[in-house]
Amino acid sequence: MSVPQARVSSVAERWDRERVLALAPDAPSQRTAQSLASGRAWPATGAGIGALWGECQGSGAAPYRAVVDLSGPAYRCSCPSRKFPCKHVLALLLLWAEGTVPNDAADPPGWVATWLATRAAKASPTPSGEPAEPKDPKAAVRRAQQRESRVASGLAELDQWLCDQARQGLAVSQQAGYGHWGDIAARMIDAQAPGLAERLRALASVPHSGAGWAGRLLEEYALLHLLAVAYRRRDELPPPLRETVRSRIGFSLRQADVLARGQPVRDHWQVLARRDLEQDRIRARRTWLRGRKTGRDALLLSFAAALAADPWLDTWPAVLRVTPARAPAPAVRDADGDALPLHPGAGDCWTLFALSGGRPVTLAGEWTPRGLWPLTAWDEDARAVAL
Amino acid sequence: MSTWQDLVTASLIGTERTGLPDTGVPGQPGPADARRPTQAPDDPAALLLDRAALLTVARRGGRPAGHAEPPPEAEPDPAPAVSPAAGRRLARMLGGEHPDLLAEWLTAVVARDRRAPAHLLPALLDRARRVSPSDPELRRLAAEAGGSRARWLAGLNPDRTFVTAHAGAGQDAWRLGGKSQRRGYLAALRARDPGAARDLIIQSWEAAAGPERVMFLSVMANAGLSLADEPLLEAALDERDAEVRGWAAHLLARLPGSALGQRMAQCALDCIRIESGARDSRLVVIPPARGDAAMRRDGVTSGQGGRLQERDARTHLLHEVLARTPLRTWTGRFGRTAEQILALRSGAWAPVLFTGWSRAAMAQRDQEWMTALINWALAGGPTGTLFGAETLRQLARRVDPARCARETTASPGAEIPPPIRDAISVLRFRYDMLKELEL
Repeated sequence: MSVPQARVSSVAERWDRERVLALAPDAPSQRTAQSLASGRAWPATGAGIGALWGECQGSGAAPYRAVVDLSGPAYRCSCPSRKFPCKHVLALLLLWAEGTVPNDAADPPGWVATWLATRAAKASPTPSGEPAEPKDPKAAVRRAQQRESRVASGLAELDQWLCDQARQGLAVSQQAGYGHWGDIAARMIDAQAPGLAERLRALASVPHSGAGWAGRLLEEYALLHLLAVAYRRRDELPPPLRETVRSRIGFSLRQADVLARGQPVRDHWQVLARRDLEQDRIRARRTWLRGRKTGRDALLLSFAAALAADPWLDTWPAVLRVTPARAPAPAVRDADGDALPLHPGAGDCWTLFALSGGRPVTLAGEWTPRGLWPLTAWDEDARAVAL
Repeated sequence: MSTWQDLVTASLIGTERTGLPDTGVPGQPGPADARRPTQAPDDPAALLLDRAALLTVARRGGRPAGHAEPPPEAEPDPAPAVSPAAGRRLARMLGGEHPDLLAEWLTAVVARDRRAPAHLLPALLDRARRVSPSDPELRRLAAEAGGSRARWLAGLNPDRTFVTAHAGAGQDAWRLGGKSQRRGYLAALRARDPGAARDLIIQSWEAAAGPERVMFLSVMANAGLSLADEPLLEAALDERDAEVRGWAAHLLARLPGSALGQRMAQCALDCIRIESGARDSRLVVIPPARGDAAMRRDGVTSGQGGRLQERDARTHLLHEVLARTPLRTWTGRFGRTAEQILALRSGAWAPVLFTGWSRAAMAQRDQEWMTALINWALAGGPTGTLFGAETLRQLARRVDPARCARETTASPGAEIPPPIRDAISVLRFRYDMLKELEL
């Protein structure tokens, strides 16, 4: 097996630890990878030709074989872990970042060369990303109609359920178990409306979320009801609002449609903040970007304008110049003394306070109906600190 | 927003038991559902949800800003923060990587008059607060490395009052303060002026109870220990409290010029000598026969309450004597460097010599011996015993990492034993850590 010429020339710049650790799917992976990189035996490692490989002695007889293609990056490891990248790959990258992986471009082991060659072979023909257009247009139309009618009947059922709640009174839901929302959420899955199922499942915790829970539950029920009504009357809605309603329900957009219909915004994008969310065993990472030319300000006004287009909107990115304050409740205030509360779920935010020292800081966060969720702040030397 | 509260109340009770309140939306004339389309449901529950949806969005969009009192500003700190790389390393240690090296990092930061990065202070102070009962020194170091920003944070959070207890404690803290304030005052004084701290201890000694005398001695141990402390320590060897006696003997053993060191050297020199053979020389070891009252006074005990077999008891005794003997005794007597002495064959005694000399080297802060000992261990020296592995662990945390090897030279190819691998990892980590602080 030979290694394609194109790869030989690509000398990879060594990454730093932070860049490696940022690849980890979760915090436990970071920890195990670090202990694996400082402790466990790596009988053979090597780097070169834009790749990195190593054998890690696990509990079994045969060592795990991990290989990284730095141009992707792409990884493979022979271990059975379902995490991606696995701890062995992360540990190997950490070793490399520390400079303890020898350069061995001349003679990669056979299994490394094989994998790299297979990748190169797959990559060389025209990239095949999106599934092609449906083969049978008639069947596709029929499937789409089927789904619309399923969603319609599911939403009718949901609206009935919501009205039942309002009729019986929300007081009983404090004694209700998870199944109270789990059952109706499962019905929404059957009705092919996954967006609604997710919203419904999240409601189970609201009755135990402290003072004001009834108001918060009513808000959520009312917005779901609004969604059901809006879908029932979708033909009367202007097309952008109709799209919003459909996406809130869980109709996903195909990438090709986004590219065809959306308006591309060209700019220099800066990563403002990341937030990892875990909901129902599904991990999601939300990344906020800000274009250099399209900065936004006046948070409350811009949120109100956005609500007019999408009443179900509950997170809105913000970059603010504010001073964190603790009295009478944790909040951030601007130079005029106007204050926004910090989200109660964001904890005590001590890192933000320590960074500010009582002076204004630049802060990126998510504005939500319950308050501002701080995500990134910039210190005196304009270095970003994830909160 | 009472109309919203009315809706919430109605929804709690349920529309089958209560009427639907009239609600208006701010900025819109008439009831909220005035412009409802004709197919409006008659169901009061649906009507309630309709109005709630309208009000929810109106409330979210029309939310006014609130008010908040700003906290006082922190004083500016004249000391600069450490480099970003050093800050990232602190974050790693607070995240669980080599947490036991935190004190060394903080000591180095304070010695260079730098500050820990502001955003890591909450985690640092929390760590110092949690581990504190076992290590009050960490609190003092964290408070000092945190500077004025740490004091400002302590003012906002009652959990962190220890920061102000350690920073800038005055005479009042000593006369009127509690245990931790007195310790904080004394430790700061000792760091600034060891002699003044010693005088204060001598004045306060008679009135102090056992635990406080232990505190005095532990503060002396942390900074400024010198031969000027010897009279106080030598007198403390005759105290009734065993813990006070133990601390005093421990501190005297750290002073190579002390009388205790001379007593130990006399005993130790009878135990080890060099025998020159035809081709090479070797160390001949004869452990002391038994301990006596004078040795017990110096903190040398026969181990496990005298229940050891005779041979083990003698080995233990030798180990204890070696650990307290000034290391220059050996270089002086044998006319060789530490490295040359360790290169001599010592057969089955090697592990005892390794641990005994290592304890002495660490107590006396003797970098030349520590370097020679750890290089011996990394080259496959006598660390096979549990005791040897623990000694290597401690050596790797105290030796100057710039002076010693950070690789093993033992039999290449074979699997590296875990204690050696861990020691190398610690040495590399400390080497990088100290280098980053120079930036």
